[in-house]
Amino acid sequence: MKDEVHTITLGRRGFLQGAAAAGLAAGTMPLANALYAQSGSVLRAFSYADIDKLDPGFYQNGYNVDVMNCIYSKLARYKPGREWEIELEAAEELEQIDDTNIRFKLKPGIMFSGGYGEMTAEDVKFSFERVLEHDSPVKGDWGPLQSVELDPDDKYAGTIVLEKPFQPLWTITIPYGVGHIVSKKAVMEATEDGSDFGMEPPAFSGPYILEEWKPNQYVKMVRNPDYSGDLKPGYDEIRIIPMDDEKVAERAYEAGDLDYTAISLSSLENYKARPPKNTVIEEYPSLYYVWVGMNVENETLKDENLRKAIQYAINVPQIMDAAYFGAAEPSTGLIAPGLIGHREKSLVPPEGDLDKAREYLEKAGGAPSQPLTIDTLNATTWKTIAEVIQAQLGQIGIQVQVNVQDSGSFWTLGMESEGDRWKKMQLVINRFSMMPDPFYATTWFTTEQVGVWNWERFSNPEFDKLHEAALSESDKDKRGDMYRQMQDMMEESGAYRFLTHEGSPVMFRDDLEPALRPDARPLYLGFKPA
Amino acid sequence: MTETATYKSPSALRIYLGQLAQNPMGLMGLILVLIVVGTAIFAPWLAPYDPNQIMLGPRMGSPSAAHWLGTDHLGRDLLSRVIAGGRIAMLVAVATLGAAMTIGLALGLIAGYGPKWLDNILLLVFDAIRSFPVIVFGLAVVTLIGPSLYTVILVVAITSIPIYARIVRTQTQTLRSAEFILAEKAMGASTFRILGLHVLPNVLGPLLILASMDVPMVIATEAGLSFLGMGVRPPAPSWGTILNDGYNFIRNSPWPVIAGSVPIILVTLGFTFLGEALRDIFDPKLRRNL
Repeated sequence: MKDEVHTITLGRRGFLQGAAAAGLAAGTMPLANALYAQSGSVLRAFSYADIDKLDPGFYQNGYNVDVMNCIYSKLARYKPGREWEIELEAAEELEQIDDTNIRFKLKPGIMFSGGYGEMTAEDVKFSFERVLEHDSPVKGDWGPLQSVELDPDDKYAGTIVLEKPFQPLWTITIPYGVGHIVSKKAVMEATEDGSDFGMEPPAFSGPYILEEWKPNQYVKMVRNPDYSGDLKPGYDEIRIIPMDDEKVAERAYEAGDLDYTAISLSSLENYKARPPKNTVIEEYPSLYYVWVGMNVENETLKDENLRKAIQYAINVPQIMDAAYFGAAEPSTGLIAPGLIGHREKSLVPPEGDLDKAREYLEKAGGAPSQPLTIDTLNATTWKTIAEVIQAQLGQIGIQVQVNVQDSGSFWTLGMESEGDRWKKMQLVINRFSMMPDPFYATTWFTTEQVGVWNWERFSNPEFDKLHEAALSESDKDKRGDMYRQMQDMMEESGAYRFLTHEGSPVMFRDDLEPALRPDARPLYLGFKPA
Repeated sequence: MTETATYKSPSALRIYLGQLAQNPMGLMGLILVLIVVGTAIFAPWLAPYDPNQIMLGPRMGSPSAAHWLGTDHLGRDLLSRVIAGGRIAMLVAVATLGAAMTIGLALGLIAGYGPKWLDNILLLVFDAIRSFPVIVFGLAVVTLIGPSLYTVILVVAITSIPIYARIVRTQTQTLRSAEFILAEKAMGASTFRILGLHVLPNVLGPLLILASMDVPMVIATEAGLSFLGMGVRPPAPSWGTILNDGYNFIRNSPWPVIAGSVPIILVTLGFTFLGEALRDIFDPKLRRNL
């Protein structure tokens, strides 16, 4: 076949007309649209945080997993919709034989990019076992994994063997972060010992590859030319744009720079009354949990009475009103309603009790002589929460200084690996995301997590024991009691004042069909033009 | 006995004020500046409410008899916050420009009157500092030592020093070969005497004019850093913070944005008009009424 060459004769008038038309077109669409419109179908989506790890065995947070979902494959994945369900992805068969054995069989023909060949059960074994072998910070997700046994007669088949039953296996482990499968050959070449490969994936197997990552600007994924699976993603390119503040994302959406974004609860009513053009707004329940944490090892906050005074001085409904315009409800703990282990009531009433707060403060010998600090992320909602708490603690004579931090600085605040800042940290407003199993809430507050994600440095051997025991407990009622007891222990320590689970409203262009988890987290592979 | 008519020449201040009064823009600038400075000084008495008092009832309210500029997302009175914000703006301007002028003056005199090698080193330092965009430099410093009013003052002062130092240096170099300086030298005057009594009074005028024109820049930088959440700590009511809070809730009410931006515009216009008028009056090359 011969390449055809078209020549176009363009006169001066034609050129001017063309330039005028192009200028008009460019002028009437936002800059980002004008740029991206040239490159085929592009999905531009908001994310609360930038990625910081692309090794699934060592993932740091859900924003990493959002990207991993697109560039790697796993045995099964979450099904978009309002109910928590999973569907097969790389696995052709996936079956729980008994409490501790799960047999899988991969679909043949799933290829790794870069010439690393076909995915086999050997890659599954390598991917899962390296999480424990290299002491990953998220090894808890694999709980009591003993080994992955290969089927000698079938290179695609194997059995996941657990030491004891593990309840979160189907809701978290397999369809989420550590469930992704990497190429053994590629990872061994890149790291020599199979350890953490950080931000440089040596091979891809998902429908997309990571083409570019500009820290704090965007993550750009394009179609994987080597992908041979059955998924047909709707967009040629996905751009995920991190913004700490959903209010900023709202402005970006209105300016035409985003196609999909979460919106703040304080803006929800306004958007419902006056939605932007061609926009759909949907509301989902949230699994986030927001709380005020107190560093129990800090010199000033070592005193439990002072911590309890703070707990009782904080009026949660007032915070809901101020920061969320009344669109969020106070929470009773880490675990959201509807999940195993949800508490009906917190120990400290949501409204607090100023008299009790003053009693505890008196026992503590009065308010600290120096103002306490409260650290918060530089986002409108969180800053508002901090300012309200500042005013509430002022009522019992505790002075508070608000430290606003950018995300890079904030998310390493309590980590021992990042220096000594954790020692000075006193109060902190924090928000973690959850998965549909209570294990994923309590796992961050065990003694092992002190100085990693447990910034309050809360440590209770009984809590740790219960956490371990609850992983294997198959009786739902008993398991629920265990998690309720654990949340009581956290609250009794005085290190926590639980605030809310928020809510998850989202908005998107009406020319796209999003694919969301029941808690509104995006599953980009399922996004399609409407 | 014959009466002798005595003629008393008007003071320099009266002459300058007279010239300023003939310049409508300059006069407007002076009035705006006096309003802003007066408001900042008397803020505690002028503000109708505590600027940080949270009142969850009347949130995002439009202007009313009780709240002349409306209220913000925490029900705080915007007029009180704007007035208190003026105090922060003036504090930053005075502290920053005071520090930048003092240090810039000293370094400029040293660079302009000292040995060549020292001049070269100081120029290198000035250029290195000036090569950083103020906001980017500010963000870096804030990340290292945390946001506060003092951080803002430090950032703006450091980045302003080279501007003043360079001007003083140039003026000093021009003056050092002037005949009256050479005569002082020949009479054995010390370097300190020459710099303090002869060079300093000659460079101070242009420096003050420049400083008055830099006030809006300093205030805008403080507002910019506060807008980005890197300036004063909450709940201090910087104009930038008011603007930022308002921007985030603009769909709810435009009043916080208006309340935060109007003072920045007025103060910028006021100091710019006044600075230009002063330059016209004091700079012989631009003086029109001679």
